[in-house]
Amino acid sequence: MSESSNGYHISFFKPTTPQALANRNLTIWLVLIWAVAIFGFHFLMRAIEKPTPEPAYVAFQGAWTNIEAGTAGTTDYQEFGQSMLSVLGKAVSPDHRKGLGEAMSWSVYMLTEDSLKADLIKKIKDFEALKGNVDNIADKDYIAAKQALSGELSPVLNLSFMDIRSQLLPIELTSANIEGLSDLVKTHLPGIMAKYLIHNQSVLTDTIFLGFPFHYFYTAVFLLILFVGLCWLYCVRIDKINAKFNIID
Amino acid sequence: MKKIYTLLLTLLTLPAVAQTTTAATQLEGGFKLGPAIILITILSIFVLVGILFRAKDTTDFYAAGRGISKVGSGMAIASNWMSAASFLGMAAIMYGSGYHGLAFVVGWTGGYVLLLILMAGQIRKYGKYTAADFIGDRYYSQGMRAVGAIIAILISISYCVGQFKGIGDMFKWILGLDFNYAVIIGGGVVLLYTLISGMLGVTKNMQIQYVIIIVSFMIPLFILTAKFDYFWLLPQIGYGSVVSDAVSGVSLEQAGALANSLGHAYATVPVPEYAMPWDPATGKSFFQWIAIAFSLMIGTAGLPHVIQRFYVVPKARDARWSVVWGLFFISLLYWSAPVYSAFGKILSASPEVGKLSKDAIVVYTAQLGNINPLITGFLAAGGVSAAFSTVSGLLVAGASAFSHDLYVKVFRPDAAPKSQLLMARIGTILMAIIVTSIALLKLGLIAQLVAVAFSLAGCTIFPLFLLGIWWSDSNKAGAISGLVTGLLVSIVAITYFVADVKGISLPAMDFITYWLGGWYFAWIGAPLAILVHIVVSKFTKETPLEIRKFLIEKVHS
Repeated sequence: MSESSNGYHISFFKPTTPQALANRNLTIWLVLIWAVAIFGFHFLMRAIEKPTPEPAYVAFQGAWTNIEAGTAGTTDYQEFGQSMLSVLGKAVSPDHRKGLGEAMSWSVYMLTEDSLKADLIKKIKDFEALKGNVDNIADKDYIAAKQALSGELSPVLNLSFMDIRSQLLPIELTSANIEGLSDLVKTHLPGIMAKYLIHNQSVLTDTIFLGFPFHYFYTAVFLLILFVGLCWLYCVRIDKINAKFNIID
Repeated sequence: MKKIYTLLLTLLTLPAVAQTTTAATQLEGGFKLGPAIILITILSIFVLVGILFRAKDTTDFYAAGRGISKVGSGMAIASNWMSAASFLGMAAIMYGSGYHGLAFVVGWTGGYVLLLILMAGQIRKYGKYTAADFIGDRYYSQGMRAVGAIIAILISISYCVGQFKGIGDMFKWILGLDFNYAVIIGGGVVLLYTLISGMLGVTKNMQIQYVIIIVSFMIPLFILTAKFDYFWLLPQIGYGSVVSDAVSGVSLEQAGALANSLGHAYATVPVPEYAMPWDPATGKSFFQWIAIAFSLMIGTAGLPHVIQRFYVVPKARDARWSVVWGLFFISLLYWSAPVYSAFGKILSASPEVGKLSKDAIVVYTAQLGNINPLITGFLAAGGVSAAFSTVSGLLVAGASAFSHDLYVKVFRPDAAPKSQLLMARIGTILMAIIVTSIALLKLGLIAQLVAVAFSLAGCTIFPLFLLGIWWSDSNKAGAISGLVTGLLVSIVAITYFVADVKGISLPAMDFITYWLGGWYFAWIGAPLAILVHIVVSKFTKETPLEIRKFLIEKVHS
């Protein structure tokens, strides 16, 4: 940023005047703060995070072990069905939704008395037909049928009526492969459940600050404040440096 | 105060309540009269302002007569910047990919710090009209000027494609048209407006557009936070509890009578993947987060239409302060965009809502939140305004490169101002046609399409400016080598990106599409270009004395 002995060579890293030196130091400091605030924080978050399962995943694992071993009881099937619904309430890919819906429906089927199984399948098919013909989800018949199915089957999965999953139950029920889990579903189910129910968490994500998970507040709110602050600081400081060295724009 | 607010809220939402039986599909289709009138009114105002402040000569057209104040310029920077990608795309990417989307928020704001402390004042002091002007002069090469102009045009086109996608989405929503027709009509209107006004009209318009963009974006936030019982006085903080609710889930008991416009309770199973970093459910990794943030930041400092805004302020000091104002105005929107995605996540939690177009989630969230249709229409018009303000700036930047840098500086140095202006207008029309054609291919989400332009700028323009300003030994040979390196990386990445979208298989497809992703390839392309530029400069003929002298006497003194 200044004339050197061999004539008009400038380099940011080799300032030769006090003004250039002040400018360089200011820039380096601000870039350092900027870099540490963005990348330092995220590398820290990466370093301390741990894969943390949701309760639904823990319940699934216990139930799935018993189901695979052929020793599953009522509670296992209920927890299995509930955990399927916990994932079905999320945004999942259509392929995964299909497999999860089948698995959940199978758990309901397994919890139904043998004498009522045919009736269950008929009810599900009737509802599927109604759903296929409805143009508007506010249709009264559709809503009534949905609520009736939910009211009837939620207790089967041990879901209270205040549990949002009881509302999902009729929507996700399917008669396809209801009598037995397909090999495809059996193979992929543990992977699908892990994908949606295990998250990277740490003290930075679990701490609540101003209502936010802390890391979210830091990135979505604080970093932007910091950026504006750094820009403001730079302008103020550079104005002072320019004034000090009589630099006129 | 609270009572008055509640009464006002009730009155505003009455017509929307009457529509609660609307099916999910109705969120998307049908002609909407109120929003259409609002949109036409706003566009008419833009055109009128454009006519009133239209360009009278080339200085006006390129650089608005260099008479814009720093706050006004900051507002114009913000308006120019707050595109469909900011208004619609950011909420879309957060809605679909959760915390991953915040890499775009950080990338598109953090870059301004680099731009300010490394370039803004110096660019103004250099005193050129366009990015290609700088490249041609600094690297004493007409060839470099031409290549710089072509790259500036390519970046503008790439950036515009995302904007036209946004314009298409909003015109489709408002007018109930097919997407293709919506893109063509919207593109035609923005072209007409840019041709009439030029940069001076654009700059004046940008200040008006900024106000419309920010007001239309903010109003629904206050209503949403108040309606769903969150801290509504400052929605940008109040939505923190919405994020936490999404993470922990909202039971039917907690929801009480709160519901979306389709009648679904305001409830959800826990969706921690919405807020947790690089969550497996989103399919995005830590590397991608970092690479996107970095690429967008250096891309910001290399975008010709952003750099060009520093030429319209009277002094270098104004250029610096305009960045502060610009970033502050931009941040107002960026603090707000996640609010839409957070509410959208819970309001569309029921599988019955169906798959919503992510790029229109801002508008769908307002609809699902039972916001008055006119306010929602105003919001959609704000989205169009955001896209317009950016597109007009981009078309001017592209036209400037075409007319000023290619036609005048390379082919016809003796061209009369009138014919320069004619070429600028022809360039604008050509660009609009090309952009419309590419936008119709639907290559990706708005934010992703725009991010391609950022990486391209980061790999090509950014190294040339950074080294050109701060290192006098950076010479023509180094610049050419660095540029070729950056371009090679860009060509490989963009080729694989398009092939991937179109389902065409290429060698090492998975490896390249992951490590050189279409919207973050600058993470490696830019450092490589800088390295090659430095090494080649070290071993080749040094920069002419007159340029070194100019750098010291005019740029750094």
